[in-house]
Amino acid sequence: MTEYAIDIVNVTKRYAEHTAVRDLTLRVPTGSVYGLLGPNGAGKTTTIRMILNIIAPDSGMIHIFGRPSNDPKITERLGYLPEERGLYRKMQVRRVLKFLAELKGVKGKDADRRIDEWLERLSLKTPEKDWGLSKIDELSRGMQQKVQFIGTLLHDPDLVILDEPFSGLDPINAQALKDTVVELKKRGKTVIFSTHLMDNAERLCDSVCIIARGEKVLDGTVTGVKEQHGQRNIALALDGDGMEGIASILRDSSLVKRADDSNRFFEIELAPGADPQVLLRRIVESGAAVQRFEMIQPSLLEIFLKKVGTSVREPGAEAWSGGVEEGMTGHG
Amino acid sequence: MAKLWAIIKREYLERVRSKWFMIATFFGPIFFAAIIIVPAWMASKSKATSDVYNTTILDATDTGFGHRLAVNIAGDSTISGRMPTVLLVAPSALTEAESTATREVMRKERTGYVVVDQQTLAGESARYAGTNATSIADMTQIKNAIRQTILATRLQNVGLDNEKMKEITFIPLDFTTERITERGRAGSGMASVLFGFSIGFLLYLSIVIYGQTIMSGVLEEKTTRVAEVVMSSVPTDTLLAGKVLGVGAVGLTQQILWIATTYVLLKLRAPIMARFGAPTMNFSLPDISLGAGVLFLLFFLLGFIFYSSLYAAVGSSVNSESEARQAASPLMIVIVSTGVFIQPVLLNPTGTTARVLSLVPISSPIIMPIRMAVTGVPPLELAASLGFLALGCAAALWLASRIYRVGLLMYGKRPTMKEMARWVSYAR
Repeated sequence: MTEYAIDIVNVTKRYAEHTAVRDLTLRVPTGSVYGLLGPNGAGKTTTIRMILNIIAPDSGMIHIFGRPSNDPKITERLGYLPEERGLYRKMQVRRVLKFLAELKGVKGKDADRRIDEWLERLSLKTPEKDWGLSKIDELSRGMQQKVQFIGTLLHDPDLVILDEPFSGLDPINAQALKDTVVELKKRGKTVIFSTHLMDNAERLCDSVCIIARGEKVLDGTVTGVKEQHGQRNIALALDGDGMEGIASILRDSSLVKRADDSNRFFEIELAPGADPQVLLRRIVESGAAVQRFEMIQPSLLEIFLKKVGTSVREPGAEAWSGGVEEGMTGHG
Repeated sequence: MAKLWAIIKREYLERVRSKWFMIATFFGPIFFAAIIIVPAWMASKSKATSDVYNTTILDATDTGFGHRLAVNIAGDSTISGRMPTVLLVAPSALTEAESTATREVMRKERTGYVVVDQQTLAGESARYAGTNATSIADMTQIKNAIRQTILATRLQNVGLDNEKMKEITFIPLDFTTERITERGRAGSGMASVLFGFSIGFLLYLSIVIYGQTIMSGVLEEKTTRVAEVVMSSVPTDTLLAGKVLGVGAVGLTQQILWIATTYVLLKLRAPIMARFGAPTMNFSLPDISLGAGVLFLLFFLLGFIFYSSLYAAVGSSVNSESEARQAASPLMIVIVSTGVFIQPVLLNPTGTTARVLSLVPISSPIIMPIRMAVTGVPPLELAASLGFLALGCAAALWLASRIYRVGLLMYGKRPTMKEMARWVSYAR
């Protein structure tokens, strides 16, 4: 098995009004869970579509498991769940799944067997009711999402690509999806998903890549990224009294670069070269009652905000550059 | 190839299984049979209708003229047992009898009445009054019957016996018409016009119906985002080809079923038309050679590919059914204006209009088969028409596949023509 499931080198995709992806290089190690993070309009969906060979890059190379992404054989090893989900509404569940399986080269009895297994596993087929015989539009939204999972995974792909997989999921399906991702990793599969929910990414991913405005901001393993890009942060919690002295300490730029004041809770970013022990001593000396003083690693969200945040106040809430998405970007 | 097959299979089976397909397939032939039978029934109006049997003959001749006339009126009826009623009336009571007969007609018990008297016997005059007095066919029939009866009476008077008389006066003239083309005689004129019309109408209908079917199919895949999943598994060109071929196969299946059942209905037309009270039309279906059949098929397929790929492009560029209807209206206008020309082409299949329209790819798939059905088309024109149409198809497919693969991924506002032109220039 090749070292990289996805190997993107210097890829650029332009549209009439803008460049969706600019000189992007990223490598997804085989067998890892990889997060593609970025605000809306950052170029995530365009990147994913290029990986899937739905659209072609203007320049650069994309290899999947060591082969060019336009190799027809490769598509059978990929499973894709698009951001906006839907299926043929008037078609029977089982026939939809069989059609999707056939497109991935799984045929006849083999397909039927797998469909049965999956329907039972996601309790769409019980002794009382076989939803496989119903039409798609007779299913609830949650059940349709399950059918779509099945369609993505039916052919046992080696690389699973999920575009904003958590958007629109109910909590039960979201949990099921997380479990599935973990299980896929255990079985040596590679999973790449795009999201703007840093929480999920932080918990699930081995590696991440943050992109904004079509360009890579940073990438690497989650631990590596935190070490490299994290500041030395301190969580400080105080008891009610003796707050007066604190303010002046936090304003001391030789010690504190930035402090997030939530009244009794402070998130403090140390100034370069500052000693946390000095800070602790000064706080204690000021007479404040320290409840908690903890060196913390930055969350992905913080790194994200720090790196991308100049033009993005809140990830996902509002796209950059006025929020108008022109051309192929669609969503992401 | 296996994937193309999977797409064709899905398009085909999902549509053939639908209720709509069953209904259309069932009612189609009835509709087509009606197209053929109704004109035939109308045509039979130009022969006398059964109205002439529902008349009263007021016979004031006292010679049995009335009875002989009744037999003659009923004479060439294919329906037995129906004959005008004869009332023998004294000349003095004629006015009274006429007003009674008039009231009967007014009460719709009878269609009308004929008055025959001494002047009729002399070959001078006869009178008819009735609701169908304006029907030329009915009046001709009655007039001829009276003439024939007078002639028979005269022959009898000069001593001819009954048998001899029948022999002389019986003239069952069957007047058939036949069309001559550059290539010789070509079967019944009426039949080939009907046939040409049916072919043209069938092609026209299929292109409109199945073009729209493809358009909404594409739109469904786009709005449900299934398209993205499918596009991650197969190239867009394969998807487009699979759709066009799959839906085309549905159209072909339906046409074959339509033609087969219509053929059977036409074979059984005698009892069906008798039910409508129309005498059987005496026409044979034009002989279609295998070559012509293959050509019809070719024109259908190419015409279908031409229009359905354009419909697919329209479907991919919009986001809702209402937008699709708007965006498809230019296409619809082109097809409808071709439809408008069906009639003129039938009337003058070798005129300049017909020849030009049968060469231009946007109208040739409909117009050329019509011309082939009603007249001889020089092989050179046929070849040129097919050639242009094939080129047109290639151009339409090229254009459509480029709009299609970009349009399917494009959500939001409907693109302007300028934007769509730019899509065409995108590499992928």
